[in-house]
Amino acid sequence: MGKKVFIAYFCVLLLIFPVCVVFAGGKEEKAPAPAEMGKEEASQKRTVKNPDTMIYARYGTVQSLDPHRAYDTSSGEAVMNFYDTLIAFDGTTTDRFVPLIAEKVPSVDNGLIRDGGRTYVFPIKKGIRFHNGAELTPADVEYSFERALVTDQDGGPIWMFYEPLLGTAGSRDGDGNIVVSIDDITKAVEVDGQNVVFHLKDPYPPFIGILAQYWSGILNKKYMIENGAWDGKKQGWERFNNPDQGAEALYNRVMGTGPYKLVKWDPGVEISFIRFDDYFMGPAPIKNIVVKIVEEWTTRKLMFTAGDADMVQVDTMYWPEMDQLDGITIYRDLPRIEDTAVFFNFNINTEANQAVWSAKLDGQGVPPDFFSDINVRKAFAHCFDHETFLKDAWLGFATTPNSPVPKGLPYRDDTVPIYEYNIDKAREYFKKAWGGKVWENGFKLSILYNTGNEHREIACQMIEENVESLNPKFQIEIMNVDWGNYLNMMVQKKCPLFIIGWVMDFPDPHNFMHPYMHSQGTFAEWQSYNNPKVDGLIRDGIKSVDKGTRKDIYYSLERIYFQDVPGFMISQSVYRVFVRDWITGYYWNPAVDQMMYFYMFKKGY
Amino acid sequence: MNFLNYIVRRILLLVVVLIGVTLIIFVLLTLFSPEQRASAFIRDIKQLSDLNSIIKTYGLDRPVYMQYFMWLRQVLKGNFGWSTTVSRPVLDAFKFFLPHTIELALFSAPLIILVGIWLGSISAVHRDKPVDHFTRFLAIIGWSLPTFWFGLILLMVFYGYFKGLFPPEILSYKAQAFVDSADFTRYTRMNTIDALINGELWIFVDALRHLVLPVVTLAVIQIALIMRIMRSSMLEAMGKGYILTALAKGASPRTVIRRHARRNALIPVITVSGWLFAQLMAGVVITETIFNRKGLGWWWARAATQLDIPAVLMAVLFNGILFVITNLIVDILYAYIDPRVRLG
Amino acid sequence: MFFLKKRWIVLDIEQHPRLKEFKFSFDKILKNPLSITGLSLIFIFFMLAVFAPVIAPPQNRAEPFRIPHEGYSVIPKPPSPGHPFGTTTKQYDIFYGVVWGTRTSFRIGFMVVGSILVIGVVAGSISGYFGGIVDEVVMRVVDIFMSLPLLILAMAIVTALGRSLDNIMKALIVVGWPIYARTVRSSILTIREEDFVKAARALGAGTLRVIFKHILPNAIYPVLILASLDVGAMVLTAAALSFLGLGAQEGYADWGQMVSLARNYIVGPPGQPLLYWYVVTIPGLFILFFVLGWNLLGDALRDSFDPKLRRK
Repeated sequence: MGKKVFIAYFCVLLLIFPVCVVFAGGKEEKAPAPAEMGKEEASQKRTVKNPDTMIYARYGTVQSLDPHRAYDTSSGEAVMNFYDTLIAFDGTTTDRFVPLIAEKVPSVDNGLIRDGGRTYVFPIKKGIRFHNGAELTPADVEYSFERALVTDQDGGPIWMFYEPLLGTAGSRDGDGNIVVSIDDITKAVEVDGQNVVFHLKDPYPPFIGILAQYWSGILNKKYMIENGAWDGKKQGWERFNNPDQGAEALYNRVMGTGPYKLVKWDPGVEISFIRFDDYFMGPAPIKNIVVKIVEEWTTRKLMFTAGDADMVQVDTMYWPEMDQLDGITIYRDLPRIEDTAVFFNFNINTEANQAVWSAKLDGQGVPPDFFSDINVRKAFAHCFDHETFLKDAWLGFATTPNSPVPKGLPYRDDTVPIYEYNIDKAREYFKKAWGGKVWENGFKLSILYNTGNEHREIACQMIEENVESLNPKFQIEIMNVDWGNYLNMMVQKKCPLFIIGWVMDFPDPHNFMHPYMHSQGTFAEWQSYNNPKVDGLIRDGIKSVDKGTRKDIYYSLERIYFQDVPGFMISQSVYRVFVRDWITGYYWNPAVDQMMYFYMFKKGY
Repeated sequence: MNFLNYIVRRILLLVVVLIGVTLIIFVLLTLFSPEQRASAFIRDIKQLSDLNSIIKTYGLDRPVYMQYFMWLRQVLKGNFGWSTTVSRPVLDAFKFFLPHTIELALFSAPLIILVGIWLGSISAVHRDKPVDHFTRFLAIIGWSLPTFWFGLILLMVFYGYFKGLFPPEILSYKAQAFVDSADFTRYTRMNTIDALINGELWIFVDALRHLVLPVVTLAVIQIALIMRIMRSSMLEAMGKGYILTALAKGASPRTVIRRHARRNALIPVITVSGWLFAQLMAGVVITETIFNRKGLGWWWARAATQLDIPAVLMAVLFNGILFVITNLIVDILYAYIDPRVRLG
Repeated sequence: MFFLKKRWIVLDIEQHPRLKEFKFSFDKILKNPLSITGLSLIFIFFMLAVFAPVIAPPQNRAEPFRIPHEGYSVIPKPPSPGHPFGTTTKQYDIFYGVVWGTRTSFRIGFMVVGSILVIGVVAGSISGYFGGIVDEVVMRVVDIFMSLPLLILAMAIVTALGRSLDNIMKALIVVGWPIYARTVRSSILTIREEDFVKAARALGAGTLRVIFKHILPNAIYPVLILASLDVGAMVLTAAALSFLGLGAQEGYADWGQMVSLARNYIVGPPGQPLLYWYVVTIPGLFILFFVLGWNLLGDALRDSFDPKLRRK
């Protein structure tokens, strides 16, 4: 019995094989002309698979399609293609804008920025249509921003509206109680004829940059109300505040004016778009877009070489080998406005904390205030071999910034020094630290990084080896924990030392200085770093509209960063975009960063 | 012992098992702080300011037993919670990923079982001869291959070198577009079966083409298991008294092997096959990741590593039901086949 | 297995039937070419493990399981004078890793399998022998533990207690014992109805004596065979967990770790797909032969111990 069944099964398999080969040529486009993988040849024209479709293989799942909830690269990318904003960045710049839904870009010169920067007026174009054919009116614009303020969902980007418009960090306090009034919200954005007017609490220079990004997409008021979003009324608005994850109205629905419409979204698997033929700026060149989540690098690579993916996301360490690939176009040296630093914890939380070991300066641990002595910080800073780090961890595709404000932003002082790799100086400072006790007794601490992050891991290893080489009594343990744990440890201030980075939200030094140096900023808070002079400067910096004043303020802050050394910068990276050579039209904008605006792409020779 | 009674009793006890397993998971949860659990909702450090709010919304700081009852109550209403790793309701995600896993298991299991039976029986019949050694050697090599290595090598050869012959993923772009369109009705959400029902042969072939590599990867590795069981039980069966009797009566060795030895030898194989199918269903993470065929295994692996508790609980429930039913069937088979074994 | 009496016995092999059988079994094992192969392989690995400090001297005496690395470059380098097997990503020396990894593999195999053997046999014996309510309860507990997915349990343990091989082993033990219990139990269910057991009971033997002297020695074979297979299987499972990000800390000498480190270099640059063959093949071969050795041994054990197969 068994044998016969097996032979039968085997025959079936044998039959399927040639059938597959036959069909492989059948309904599909002809496969690309066989060429040895990667041989150096003059790039030949190949038959293009799926000519009206672009397939992008990347990693990172979309969390939500609601512009007021989306706050990660993948979600933002989708939102960006569905919705339009009032203005957009001009080409590859981050400090000039072009009008999109607005008729003109407001400026002081054309009188649309008034009251010393507290009022912005946007005239709205006529004749723009939503995906369902409805015409866009200023009421839609007003509703979009008010709804954002009303909803203010956990995990979303709306703090960026709250800061300029209402002067608070959000609609709720630390305990979840609502601290704003609906009147404040409705007064912040108003319609005036064919204009929409924003009333800011205080001058806020980055405001215009905030309006150019995907969270400022314009929604259709009628559609929103029909689909359970805020009804636009003052009465009972609280119940629309902070919906549960997944309950936000546009979680998996789209109604925008953007160049693409939603076809289907399988969370975690893929999302597909189709061209909106009546897009007011003209229809997009490529009809269908599919973004696939493919986590395994090798699989992504094979899909790319086979032509099943037109564009693929590639991590830094594989860039050199991609150089040898034939039939692709590489956009190189794309500057990213982000940076990463090592942060010292001035007041380590020792409760149930393995990272501090004995929690005393007895050679078997570190006391909570270990890093509060500037000599310790300087010593560690001098132990970091920047050159080797950039070469080995980043393969040369990064630079060392000299302050939290990365290259590409205004008000950056290039003359601010960094702590060079200098073992002798490090030794000197260690000997001075805590009156010599550090050198005498030694110490033991753990540094952590999040699992999978190669760069941070290498940074930790380098710190460990260099510090330990100075004195046998210096002991450093490296631990890797998963991302959730890592976040948790940092938030609870348990990490003696942590490494983390910040990616730009809007192109202004304030966006970096606040988290890095303001005592209530994200990082500084975890560090318990508090310099009142710094807090004052940051507050003045964001409120001032005068370029000269701002320049002085940020220059000072950068120098204080060097003097106080609450941490030290280790990298600012560049990016590369990889497409098959039949894809053209791409250009990089540092604010848009890794998110792809599919409107710009063309496929074909 | 009343057979029906026994089955009913075992099924009722299933509930006990399920409660037991989910309780264990909740107890394990006490090892995590509320902040750690809330961080499952967060992708980026910029969303961290909302950590406290998330904790309050989802009651992550309440006592464990309260959280368990909250969860239980929701489950009984049909709400299995929100899976943060795939940003959709757990039940939705389950319904989405289940067909992919079933399809893979459905095509792999028969191949593994049949080839395993065939190789095992050959090995047993030609015991200690070169054929025996050779097949066992091959099977063991297959079994000790790291799954991802083998899968990636297969991809490299049959997709990379042979220009797209057997691609990864589930369907080609054209086929997928057709399946999503209104011209195609989905019944089981398994592309192979639905394609046949819809009468679209080219989609069926397309889906099969995409199944070849993952199925082969799984098969090569698991065949050793079945082969080994089959071989040892065949050897045992061949040593039994009635074989000698049949031979003495003049039956040809071939008939004897086929009709007596093999048939009886299949019994333990059947029980292991059930277990194998359950294993395959429980998730073949690595295969699913490499070939980008996201199914239950992939989903739950991510859920486990990202503290997506509602999804994890779903996994545990599913596993629980799967294994209990499988064990029940196995126990019944044992009792049925070997009259010396009494149930209960 | 035999129950040592607390009396001085003259071990006259020819007289005592059980020992005679034992000797017969061992002879059989030693004559079978396959089992000799298996034993040799295991022996070689054993020697490798014992002499690891000599073959691959550690840089840091206190942490011999830390694989040394020169620099941090992520691109693997092929075999060269200082690195006989080359280096894997982040420049970990493959030779050092596989040599010390032998110790790790033995540790994983023995500790995990040893533990689940003991737990499984105890649970299964109690369940199988006593039957009734005891059986029900124990089997339900078995069901519960069998439903615990390994990955989830491993993740929970790692997140709570930290990432280390020991914690992974705990997860493997928790998930591994149910099968042993079930196997022992089903053997016992069959055997306890055998005549010789009934005879022993009729002659007044106590429960413990019946279990240890009569039932277990006969019921134990399937689990022993399972155990020999599992020593290799545990190493494979630990390797799979390493691939998923659990398992030992990176840079720890463990074959599974090393294979998973090679993940992104299995397929090399276009045009040279097998350029980095050594990062995966070498640790992979070590795993393969280790598992092979134990498999062959297990087969040999079964062939020689199984009463129906011994004398053919």
